[in-house]
Amino acid sequence: MSKPNDLVQGTLDLLILKILALQPLHGWAISRRLKTISDHVLQVSEGSLYPALHKLEQEGWITAEWKQTENNRRAKFYSVTRLGRKQLERESASWHLLSSAITRVVRLSEA
Amino acid sequence: MRAEHWWYTVPLRLRSIFLRSRIDRELDEEMQFHLDRLIEEAIAEGLSPQEARNAAMRAMDGLEQRKEEARDMRRTRWLTDFLDDVRYASRSLRRAPGLSFFVVATLALGIGMTSAPLSMTDALIFRPYPVPHPGNVVTLTSTSRSSSFELFSYREYLDIRDHTKSYDGVIASGDFVPFGYSVRAGEVARVRGGMLVSGNYFSVLGVRPQLGRGFRADEDQVPGRNPVVVLGPDFWKHELASDASIVGKTIRLNGVDFAVIGVAPESFPGMQIFVRPDFYVPLAMARRFSTSANQDFFEDRNDRGLIVRGRLKRGVTLQQARNELAALARDLESEHPESNRNRGAMVRTQFQMRTRADETNWKFGVIFAVLSLAVLLVACTNAAGLLLARASTRTREVAVRLALGAGRSRLIRMLLTESLLLACLGGLAGVGVGFVALRILHRFSIPTTLPVQIPFHMDARLLLASLVLSLASAIAFGLAPALQSTRGNLVEGLKAADVEPPGRKRLWGRNVLVVAQVSASLMLLTASFLMVRGFRSGLGEGMEFAKVAKDHVLMASFDPRLLQYDAARTQRFYQQVAERTRQAPGVQSAGLTQNPPLGLEDFEAMSFVPEGVPMPADRETFNSAMDTVDEGFFDAMGIPIVRGRAFRRSDGPDAPRVAIVNEHFANHFWPGADPVGRRIHLDRRVGTPVEIVGVARTVRYRDNNEKSVDFVYLPLAQRPVSRMTLLVRAAAGPLTVLEPLKDIVRALDPNLPIVDARTYLTLYRYAAVDGPGVAINLVAIMGATALLLAIAGLYGLVAYNVSRRTREIGIRMAIGASRPDVIRLVLGKGLVLVAVGTAIGLVLGFALEQLMNSMLFNAGGVDVLVYLVAVPAMFLVTMLAAYVPALRASRIEPTQALRYE
Repeated sequence: MSKPNDLVQGTLDLLILKILALQPLHGWAISRRLKTISDHVLQVSEGSLYPALHKLEQEGWITAEWKQTENNRRAKFYSVTRLGRKQLERESASWHLLSSAITRVVRLSEA
Repeated sequence: MRAEHWWYTVPLRLRSIFLRSRIDRELDEEMQFHLDRLIEEAIAEGLSPQEARNAAMRAMDGLEQRKEEARDMRRTRWLTDFLDDVRYASRSLRRAPGLSFFVVATLALGIGMTSAPLSMTDALIFRPYPVPHPGNVVTLTSTSRSSSFELFSYREYLDIRDHTKSYDGVIASGDFVPFGYSVRAGEVARVRGGMLVSGNYFSVLGVRPQLGRGFRADEDQVPGRNPVVVLGPDFWKHELASDASIVGKTIRLNGVDFAVIGVAPESFPGMQIFVRPDFYVPLAMARRFSTSANQDFFEDRNDRGLIVRGRLKRGVTLQQARNELAALARDLESEHPESNRNRGAMVRTQFQMRTRADETNWKFGVIFAVLSLAVLLVACTNAAGLLLARASTRTREVAVRLALGAGRSRLIRMLLTESLLLACLGGLAGVGVGFVALRILHRFSIPTTLPVQIPFHMDARLLLASLVLSLASAIAFGLAPALQSTRGNLVEGLKAADVEPPGRKRLWGRNVLVVAQVSASLMLLTASFLMVRGFRSGLGEGMEFAKVAKDHVLMASFDPRLLQYDAARTQRFYQQVAERTRQAPGVQSAGLTQNPPLGLEDFEAMSFVPEGVPMPADRETFNSAMDTVDEGFFDAMGIPIVRGRAFRRSDGPDAPRVAIVNEHFANHFWPGADPVGRRIHLDRRVGTPVEIVGVARTVRYRDNNEKSVDFVYLPLAQRPVSRMTLLVRAAAGPLTVLEPLKDIVRALDPNLPIVDARTYLTLYRYAAVDGPGVAINLVAIMGATALLLAIAGLYGLVAYNVSRRTREIGIRMAIGASRPDVIRLVLGKGLVLVAVGTAIGLVLGFALEQLMNSMLFNAGGVDVLVYLVAVPAMFLVTMLAAYVPALRASRIEPTQALRYE
C-alpha cells in the first residue's frame, strides 16, 4: 500500500475537519468520502485515519458520539466543535495562501 | 478561547485516565467496524472471505500499531504509563518482601535521623521571623574595632529612626529581661520575662494583636508617662486562661500598674529563637526596668543595649541601606566623638546575622547538617547497594523485555519508579522516626521560670525537606542500578539466569559502595566520639568547683526593685541577708553574686586599661567579662583564691577600690609576674583606678566547653547592683537550708519575694549534663545509626557477592581447592575493600576532627579509642559476612553447586 505523500499527510487534519463540517460521520464514512471527493487521488491509508481522528478529538476540535448507523450498527460519529470550525477557518486560510503561492510559482516557471 | 478548549479536553483527559479499559474497548470496536466494512466491500467485489480478510488487514497498515498510535494521541500517556509502573513496581516489591522492608527501613532511619538534626539546623539558621514578609526585616548593628555586632544606645536609635530613608520603619527592642509580675498591689510578685520595645514595634513588624491594640506612637514619647503593656500569647493563654476581658484592666509590673492594651497573636511568639516574652512594654518605661541605676538610658550614648531592626522599603537594596547607615554613622562620629569614635554601623539580613562567624549556634547548625547528611549518604549507599544486587538477579527479566522491544529509557523509567516507591515509603516512615526523635529532644527542659522554649519542631518546611530528600535519594540510589541493568549484553542476559558477566566494570560500582559506606560511617563515628569526648572533657578542668557545689549550694535570687527599694536600702538588705544566713544552723558559708558561673544570664562586660601594659596601636581599652560579688562569694562557690586575698568587709564604698582577677587574666597581662598590687583603670585610661588584691582560679563561666577567658570580680559594696543571687553553702543537702533562709528573708521584709530559689545542681545539670546531653545523644544516635546501617549494608553486600559465586566455588572445589582456600579467596576481596574504606575514613575523620576542634572544643589530639573500636568492628563484620556464605558454599557438593542458580 502506497503511503500518502507528505503534502497530504500534513493537510489530513484540514481534510477531515472540512468533511466533518458538512455533516457528522463515522470513521469508515470519512475514509469513503475522502476517496470519492478527491477522485481517488488522495489515498489515505485506512489505518492512519484513526490516530488523526483521535488527535483532533484530544485537541478539542471534534467531538465523538456513539450512534446507530442506518444498518443498525453501533458506530462512533464525529462532529466538529466550535473550536474546530475556527481551526478549519485558520487552516483553510493558510492553505489558500500556500496553494495560491505555489500556483503562482508554478505558472511563473511556465511563462 | 482557552476555557472553551479545556471544556472539551479536560473530560477527555479524565476519561483517558479513569476509564482506560472502556476507551480501549471503544477503540477496538471502532476499528473493528472499519475492518468489517472493508471485508464486506472486498467480498462484494468477489473475493473469498479469507482473502477479503487478509486484504482488509493489509489495508489497515498494521492494526495494532495504529491502535497504539491512536492511544499515543491521548495526552495522558505518561501518566497512565506511570500508573502501570507503580502497579508493576508494587507487585515486584511484594515479591521480595525482605529486601523491600530492609531498603524502606534503611531509608526511614536515614531520613528520620536526618530530620531531627535538620530541624535543629533550621531553627538555628533558617527559620524566618514569625512576621509577614520576614525577608524585608534587617538588623542594624553598631560596629567597633573589637566587634561588628554591637547594639545601639537609645539616642542612636532615635537618630537612625529619624534620619534614614531606606526603611518603612525602624524598631528597637531591649534584651529579654525578668519582670516582677503580680495581679495587684501587695501581692507577692513572681518573675516572668518581658521586653522593652519601641512604640512602632508591632506596626512595623506587621503583627496585629489578636485582642485589643498595639502601641500608639505617642505612648512611647515621654519617659515614664504611659504604663501600657501588650501581653504575649502564651502568658495570656496559660496565666490568664485566655480571659478576653483583661484588655483595659491593669496588672503590676515591677511595682507599677500597667494598663493591658492588647494581646499579641498566637503566630508571634517573639523575634528570638529561644525565648517567648510575656510582656511588651514601651521603651519610654525603661527606668522601671533598668538594670543599672547609675546610667541614664535615655541620654547616655554609651549605654548600648538596644537591638535595632528595620523593614526595608520596596526597591531599596541592602547595599543602599548600608551606604546610608554608614554615612549616618560618620556624622554621629563627628558630632559625638566621646561616644562614637571609631564606630561604624552595618545592616544585615536575618541569615547574615545568624551565620556570623563567631556564633556557636551557627557552628552547631552546620555541624549537625553535615553529620545528618552523612547519615543520609550512608543510608542511600546502603539502599543503592541492595538494589544493585537485586538488579543483577533481574538481568534475564530485563533482557527479555529489551528483546521484546521495550525502549531502554522506558525500562529505566520503570526501574526508577520502583526506587521512587521505596523512597516514598521510606520517607513516610522517616517522618515518623523524625517525630519520635523530636519528641525525645523535647524532653529536656531548661531550669528557669522564664518562658524559654526549645525551638525544635516538625513543620511544613521540614516535611518538605524530608520529601525532597526522599526523592533525591530515590534518584541517587535508583539510577545506578537502573542504568547498569539495562546496559547488559542481550544474548548473555537471555542465556543465563543469573550470571556475573565477565569484566570488572560491573563489580566496580558495588566496590565503590562498600568503600563509601565504610569510610562515611567511620567518619561519623569519629565525629560522634569526638563530640562526646569534647563535652565530657568540659567536665574536667575549671569545673572542679561545680562538682562540689552541685551537692551543697542553694541559690536564691532577689530583686528589691520590685518593692521600690532605693540603692542604700538595697545594699543594707543584701548585707543583712548574707550576714544572718552565715549564722544560720547548717550553713557553711554564704555569698552574693550577680550571676553564678554557668548561670543562665550573661555576664556584664567591662572595659579597662591595665597599668604598665603597652596598648596595641589600634585600641584604647581591653574588654573582659565581670561579676559583682560580696566577701563571702569565693567560699560559698568554692572558687579558690590562689594569690593575694579575697574581698573583705573593709572593702567598703569609701575604701580604696579593689578587684580580683582570674589566673587567665593575670597571665594574659602580666605573664610571669605577680599581678597583686597592680592597678587597672575602669572605662578609659583616665578612669577610676582599681587595685588588684587577689587572683582567683580560672573556672568555666558560661558553659563547660568554654575556652579560658579573662574575668574580673568587683566588690558589691563598691559597685551596687539591685538584682543579686545569694549562694548558700550547706553542710548537708542544699534544700536543708531553704526554710531557715525563708525565715531570715521574712524577718527582714515580709513583702520581699525570693524570686527564684533552686539548687546549683539544676544549673550544673543544664550546663554540663542536660544541654550537652541533647547534643551528645543526638550525635551518638547518629553515629550508632550510621554504624548499624553500614554494618548491615556491608554484610548484605559481601554475603550477596559470595553467594553469587556459589557455582564458581563449586567448580573450584571440584577441581581440588580446599575449604580454607575458598574462604581465603572470598575473605580477601572483602578485607581489601574494608581496608581501603578504613584508610579513606581515617583521613576524612581526621580532617573533621581538626575542623571540629578548631570550631568547638579545645580538646585537641586524635582519638585513638575510636579507631581501636571501629576498625576491628568493621573487619569483624566483613569477615563474618564473607565467612558464613563461604562456609555454606564450601560445604555443598560440587555437583549441586554446578547446578546452582
